[in-house]
Amino acid sequence: MTGASAPEVPVRRAAVELAGTLALTVGVRGDRCIATSQYHQGALRILRPHYLDDTSQVCYVVVNPGGGYVGGDEYEIDITVETGARLLLTTQSATKVYRTPATRAEQRTHIRLGPNASLESVPDPLIAYRGATYRQATVIEMHGSASLVMAEIVTPGWSPDGALFGYDEIRLRNEISVDGRLAVLDNLLIRPLTGAAPIDGMAFLEDYTHVGSLLVMDARVDAALLNELHEELLPLAGGCNLGMSLLDGGLAIRALSHATEPLDAVIRAGIDFLRCRWHGQPRLNLRKY
Amino acid sequence: MPNTPTERVNEPPSYLLPLLQLSDSALPTGGFSHSFGMETFLERGLIDGEAGFASWLSQFVGIQLTYSDGFALRLAYEASSVDDIARVDRMIAAAALPREVREAGTKMGARMLAIAGTVAPGARLAGYAADVGSGRCAGHPAVAFGVAGRQLGVPLEELLASYLFTAVTSLTQNAIRAIPIGQDAGQRVLLGTHPRIMDAVRRIQALDADDFGITAPGLEIAQMRHERQRVRMFMS
Repeated sequence: MTGASAPEVPVRRAAVELAGTLALTVGVRGDRCIATSQYHQGALRILRPHYLDDTSQVCYVVVNPGGGYVGGDEYEIDITVETGARLLLTTQSATKVYRTPATRAEQRTHIRLGPNASLESVPDPLIAYRGATYRQATVIEMHGSASLVMAEIVTPGWSPDGALFGYDEIRLRNEISVDGRLAVLDNLLIRPLTGAAPIDGMAFLEDYTHVGSLLVMDARVDAALLNELHEELLPLAGGCNLGMSLLDGGLAIRALSHATEPLDAVIRAGIDFLRCRWHGQPRLNLRKY
Repeated sequence: MPNTPTERVNEPPSYLLPLLQLSDSALPTGGFSHSFGMETFLERGLIDGEAGFASWLSQFVGIQLTYSDGFALRLAYEASSVDDIARVDRMIAAAALPREVREAGTKMGARMLAIAGTVAPGARLAGYAADVGSGRCAGHPAVAFGVAGRQLGVPLEELLASYLFTAVTSLTQNAIRAIPIGQDAGQRVLLGTHPRIMDAVRRIQALDADDFGITAPGLEIAQMRHERQRVRMFMS
């Protein structure tokens, strides 16, 4: 475990030249949240902060000026939200992973949330192209009083001939510890052609094409809240296969659909419900800059 | 004194009978009341007979029994301390996002620990039982089975195959009652799992730390949706 705040200048690894590095620490300054330190290198940038409503929550947009990930690319993102600070993190556009012949692209993210800190992570969907192998590993260490809301959408990718699931492999691993104790190990592996079970089988996607997920870790989550959320989301989930469950200190939402839009609607409704309930905030409206 | 020629008599390994006893699918661990999401597919009509069940079971072996139960068993078997065992126990509880799967692990783990404590007593198992008793560990049958098998000296590949086959036998008996399918159909499905189990045993031994708890979205969603199913025979 590393220290509580992001280093000003992270030490570069000698062996591997990282394709992109981003380090961001957000704290409270006056009546607003703002970066207290930030660093970027290579093909990862962050846009200037903005505020979506009259709360103190700051919004940062991550940009990949290179346009996408290619074979051998390694990205490292390091996010710290200090005591009482609130960060909304999003992306400027979909994360695109191109062909990675004989290798892979990888993004490693390390997130630390201090006491009463909150992070909402609402990235654009992931699109993996034909022949792509992508590994995303996110490690989150949070204080018991912190709040985490983390969304993810995986599309069936893109091939020149229009065929779905042309990519070789997508791995998304989220490891969440609360007060130093492992609470959630969320590990998804999709290998359309060589997987442990057929991609169109019951265990994977049936005839659905898009996978969506919302992980929430917050001490305020209980069975009653999950029931309310279920009532709220079920009417929006027509055409989706929706599952929700209580975690040890949070909740998980999983959904499958035939397109990005209905999935996005369900996940956004979940985020909006919690923003309103916990922070009195209006619906999330991400203007992309 | 003349040498009396000793007659060669072959004995089974000392672990065989305890292993058979722990691998009995009728072992009272409560397996008969858990479907691990199968009942959701049953209600949706995706499992309605022998073929549908065989397909689901094969996917369940390749995913949950490989990356979660099987891998946890291996890590518990290889553990060199009670702290290692506690770490595996935490990992398998954290990897079960559907609440009912987590609760099934805890309930069946407590039962398996009590039975294994009788059949294969030892310090490791007692240590794990104490950690479950104190709340430090959640409890899981695969972890208890791995610890007990190590104490008995069962080779890992035999222990894995036994655990996986017991799990699929238990699920098949549940399917025979719930779908329902005939006893003979059940035996055909079980025979069909043999190559899948052999394959899983090979793969489990080669998994990396990053592979722990890998799951699949359809399976997870079914396990989550089961919580809200109106008519249910099973607790998961």
